[in-house]
Amino acid sequence: MKISTNITGPLGSNNPVIVQILGICSALAVTVKLEPAVVMGLSVIFVTAFANLVMSLLRNGVPSRIRIIVQLVVIATLVILVDQVLRAYVYDVSKQLSVYVGLIITNCIVMGRVEAYALGHKPWESFLDGVGNGLGYAMILVIVAFFRELFGSGTLFGVDVLTRFGYTNNSLMLFPPMALIIVGCIIWVHRSLNKDLQEK
Amino acid sequence: MAMNKNSNAYIIIYTVVMVVIVATLLTFAATSLKERQDANAENEKKMAVMTALGKQGESFDETITPALLIDGVLTPQSDAKVVLDKLADLKTMASAENDLPLFKYEREGETLYVVPVAGKGLWGDIWGYVALQADGDTIAGVVFDHKGETPGLGAEIATAEHQKHYVGKKIYDAENRLVAVTLRKGGARQDNIEHEVDAITGGTKTSDGVSAMLQSGLSKYDGFLRSLAMQTADDTELNDPIAEPMSDDAAAEAGTEANVEPQNIEE
Repeated sequence: MKISTNITGPLGSNNPVIVQILGICSALAVTVKLEPAVVMGLSVIFVTAFANLVMSLLRNGVPSRIRIIVQLVVIATLVILVDQVLRAYVYDVSKQLSVYVGLIITNCIVMGRVEAYALGHKPWESFLDGVGNGLGYAMILVIVAFFRELFGSGTLFGVDVLTRFGYTNNSLMLFPPMALIIVGCIIWVHRSLNKDLQEK
Repeated sequence: MAMNKNSNAYIIIYTVVMVVIVATLLTFAATSLKERQDANAENEKKMAVMTALGKQGESFDETITPALLIDGVLTPQSDAKVVLDKLADLKTMASAENDLPLFKYEREGETLYVVPVAGKGLWGDIWGYVALQADGDTIAGVVFDHKGETPGLGAEIATAEHQKHYVGKKIYDAENRLVAVTLRKGGARQDNIEHEVDAITGGTKTSDGVSAMLQSGLSKYDGFLRSLAMQTADDTELNDPIAEPMSDDAAAEAGTEANVEPQNIEE
């Protein structure tokens, strides 16, 4: 297996959100607007990448009996760092993301990749795997947020796009169920393009 | 020499070392970023005060005198932080309690007061700032925010669209009682339009929370606001003894001791 698939895999046929159906919860919560979705995506990329890197470096020294606890401590530390930095430098966005930054700790993608990949692979590969999976997650977040902001608020990144043409905002798009429906549609499109993912 | 990685000693030492490293790292990050974070939080409050006044373009530091009401007397504070820090405890302050935070806006002869309020919505805390004209009665603007009201419903209180309806409302009624502003389900009634705004459709509990917050929040400042009313009534008399169209109210207020119901209701 080539290392480059560590990055490309999660973007396509092995996407953590739409194929493995992980991290759905925050995908529903932070996709009302594009800006918080992008920041959330970047935060998750950072956390998955460095959690994988650190755990891969530690993998030979970690006592297997407390393996999960060590993973949690590493992930939690990274998440707290991200939260602190966001609060100091992009205060508005961190307010919109509110508790969801903290909840990256419970995002199954992070722990899933550490447990499934980083503990058995070298640091650099693990790091790329983390970046790839973070990107896969961020990509879905941005796609969902694009549609929700466009049709829910008529804007993109806060810039008016649709309302000037007399578009009336559809506030249903702002509610979490709509995010689930959009994720469902993405999965639909994705499966119809990837025949091998279709269940018989 | 291979260590047994699953021995208790190894696990304990491993855990202790890990925790110490992590704690040091996080402490370092928290302390080095604290100053910036506090500045952000402070700046947000200052911006909210300016938004309530409708003077977003002007600088808080140049136009606002942060003050505390000590024994009912407006006492300017040189350090804005002292006043801003008080805001956190606002909800638990009883009306009789001293040191209520308050902001006085002064520029080019225009004087406005900003009263912070805090209360409970449907899901959590709500808070806001009410800007009042120098008469302590007319609302010049409001700004509300919330912790986690329902988006599209209760959360609408935080939109400029909702907040603009408060401008020009009066918080004292014709009989000089503090009635604040009520969010009326079904729409503000025309006969009481000075003291009502439309409640938010689908956000009844949040609207009720805002009404309660305005009533209880403003009543803490009742004594001070009445003294403002008296001052402006006096000023009007001094400046222009025959000007009276609006001073029916003002005179009634002026003739009334703070916190005492007016006697002249016979008509």
